Amino acid sequence: MARSRFRVVTDSTADLPEAWRKQYGIEVVPLRVHFGNETYKDGVDLTNKEFFEKLAAAAELPKTSAPSPGDFAEVYERLRKECDGVVSIHLGSNLSATVESARLGAQAVAGFPVEVVDTRSVTMAMAFLCQIAAQAADLDSAVAACEERLDRLAVLALLDTLRYLQMGGRIRKVEYWVGSVLDFKPVVKLEGGPIEPIDRPRTRARGLKSLLEHFRADLPVERVGVMHAQAPADAERVREELQKELPDVPIEIGVTGAVLGTHTGPGAVGLCYIRK
Amino acid sequence: MKTESSTSSRMRPEVVDGQLFKQALLGSLSWLTSNQEEVNRLNVFPVPDGDTGTNMLLTLQSAVEDIRESEAREISKIAALAAHGSLMGARGNSGVILSQIFRGFAKHVQGKQQLTPAELADALEEAANAAYRAVIKPTEGTILTVAREIGKAAKAAAAESNATVNSVIRAAVRAAKAATDNTPTQLAILREAGVVDAGGYGLQVILEGFLRTVEASDADQLLKAPAAAKAGPAQAALELPEEGWGYCTEFLIEGGDMDVEKIREEIAAMGNSALIVGDPDLIRVHVHTNEPTKVLAYASGIGNLTKTKVDDMSKQHRVILQGATPGQNGASAPKAEAAAAQPRQNGVGLVAVAAGSGLSGIFKGLGTDAVVEGGQTMNPSTQDMLKAVESVPYQEVFLLPNNANVILAAGQVPELTKKRVHIVPTRTMPQGIAAVVAFNVGRPAEANQAAMEEAAKQVQTIEVTHAVRDSRAEGVRVKKGDVIALINDKLKHSGQDYGEVVSDAVRGIGPDGYELITVYRGREAKDADLSQLTEALQRDFPNLEVEVQDGGQQHYPFIVSVE
Repeated sequence: MARSRFRVVTDSTADLPEAWRKQYGIEVVPLRVHFGNETYKDGVDLTNKEFFEKLAAAAELPKTSAPSPGDFAEVYERLRKECDGVVSIHLGSNLSATVESARLGAQAVAGFPVEVVDTRSVTMAMAFLCQIAAQAADLDSAVAACEERLDRLAVLALLDTLRYLQMGGRIRKVEYWVGSVLDFKPVVKLEGGPIEPIDRPRTRARGLKSLLEHFRADLPVERVGVMHAQAPADAERVREELQKELPDVPIEIGVTGAVLGTHTGPGAVGLCYIRK
Repeated sequence: MKTESSTSSRMRPEVVDGQLFKQALLGSLSWLTSNQEEVNRLNVFPVPDGDTGTNMLLTLQSAVEDIRESEAREISKIAALAAHGSLMGARGNSGVILSQIFRGFAKHVQGKQQLTPAELADALEEAANAAYRAVIKPTEGTILTVAREIGKAAKAAAAESNATVNSVIRAAVRAAKAATDNTPTQLAILREAGVVDAGGYGLQVILEGFLRTVEASDADQLLKAPAAAKAGPAQAALELPEEGWGYCTEFLIEGGDMDVEKIREEIAAMGNSALIVGDPDLIRVHVHTNEPTKVLAYASGIGNLTKTKVDDMSKQHRVILQGATPGQNGASAPKAEAAAAQPRQNGVGLVAVAAGSGLSGIFKGLGTDAVVEGGQTMNPSTQDMLKAVESVPYQEVFLLPNNANVILAAGQVPELTKKRVHIVPTRTMPQGIAAVVAFNVGRPAEANQAAMEEAAKQVQTIEVTHAVRDSRAEGVRVKKGDVIALINDKLKHSGQDYGEVVSDAVRGIGPDGYELITVYRGREAKDADLSQLTEALQRDFPNLEVEVQDGGQQHYPFIVSVE
């Protein structure tokens, strides 16, 4: 195999479409999901379907953990033989220790350039960066292409319940969201910081409306994708609606993996995008 | 008329000064006290919120509270005190309008020592104008019309060459009565129910009391005392301010099956200015007594006491025992503390009016910083709401009245505080809940206001209760005891059981496009009623989700929201 100039590495929370992985030779390092004493590698040991079945049956919520520095070092070490450098694009440091592990892993492969990108985001927003980076001419322009977009990444999501996100502790503490005896459908946004509460409609239909309204406020966009956790019909509805408004933008549909699914719970629908 | 002796010169005054105005207002208070039930009974709507008389009385009482101690001779001073007091104590729509009447009057007499008949007439006219200005959509056939006719008649009488203070007020009383009697021709809802407007009648009674003091002997010829009046009001007016006042004692009794009449009699016997209102579950007590401990001991034998307040009126020394005896359902309190623990991004607080422990808890759980107790039959006063607004740790506050009859009183709060207060004019509890749900800490107040008002508009409210008498309103004929449903404040359906009536109401709203029915269970609802209702809803609307919450509200066995 001819030495390529550089390669892209990411982690399983990018929910990278399989086609892109194959086309660009992107390496995916799995995070881990722990159900009690059983540990699974995200996207490797457990399909999405299996995961949500286990999630529904689990007495207590699973825990998730970042890959170890060694996991990253192993991948970088292998790639060292195949290319001249790596851009490693990861789950945000605002959400996970994954970036930290990647940096430590990079230090272990001295003399081989590994540029770690802290996306401060998750899922398809990361996947878009992976694709854009992979299409760059060289490592430096790949890193630059990622960095100039970091402030424009956003994820909006409608959850079916606050329960999972609340247990996961990644949402900005909003006492009045967690004290409610009334059920509502949280709409949250991730834009470089903690997950922010945006809206709490009481019905799903209104939630989908709210999701789209908040998205429209961020137009125009360079890229957009619709993600879902066990909600393909709603995701398709959202895609169709958006496609009408944005005929020139390709709109992907993706499925959230186990790690992200642990925090969103089933029924989540999200929009991942890069603002223009 | 005969020549006046010096002692009776007060009865035929040439001018109105501060002390005469004070005595006259005390006369009004006394006369309204005697007629309170009569005013309450005029309530036109077949739901049990007959509290117009009580609200006006509480408002007037608050107006008079501030002037009792005053020896001021200047009418401007007494009028200003009455305006301030009534504003602070304003309850219900009629109460708030009454406070605006006082305010307009006070503004007009600013700087004046005393009023000539012509000046008095001008002030009465200006008082009515102020009341009109205070109401966003003035409705004819209400207290406003009566106030205006009072002003007009006073002006006409003052223009007569031999005009006196008496002739002006007498003309005003006559006009008030005529205007009140005429209200059914102006408002269809009064016509259908066969009554005159309660607020208008209340104002008429107040003015009658005023006249009775100013002109005790002549008044009896002019006015026929209603049957309800027991003691001679003019005499009572003189008695009222003479004695020592002791302690102003106020509290709520929470209990079950309480005998309101008996408790009223017992407590009234322990003091004066007794005002005991409520129902078998909750009674609000206000009494002036020299033995507050005796009153409290008696009441604590009946039920749980809350909101206990004892003011030593001579020392103006206030002891607040609030919270010393928590109510039956104190579960909501800790949540409120938790909610207040962290400052908010946008620095905006939330205050809501809620009736019922369950509803209070829901509001607090949703992030409401302070909940003012009150609702359908116990409209909170402007001051109650002001206190709550002042108590939250934010300089900008949203205030949600959650009841059509509280909106006006809430509207007075912004100008009484340095804080920026925004009113979201919610008319029902579910509207308030929808508005609070839409509140977002990441947005400034203006954006929240729009979102909250929009959210309130989208929820449909069905209030379910029993008709208190045979009636006909909004074209729906009801018999006493019928289950009735009000959709967004308007009587729409009646029938024999909860399930049938609520299903009809949901159908009336048109369930397409809605997803969720929330049933807030009231205090009076039995388990069997609840299951009958939820089964009917699940059967009739299989596509809608039905959620049950404990509302704990009185008078409405169920409040149902559809969204």
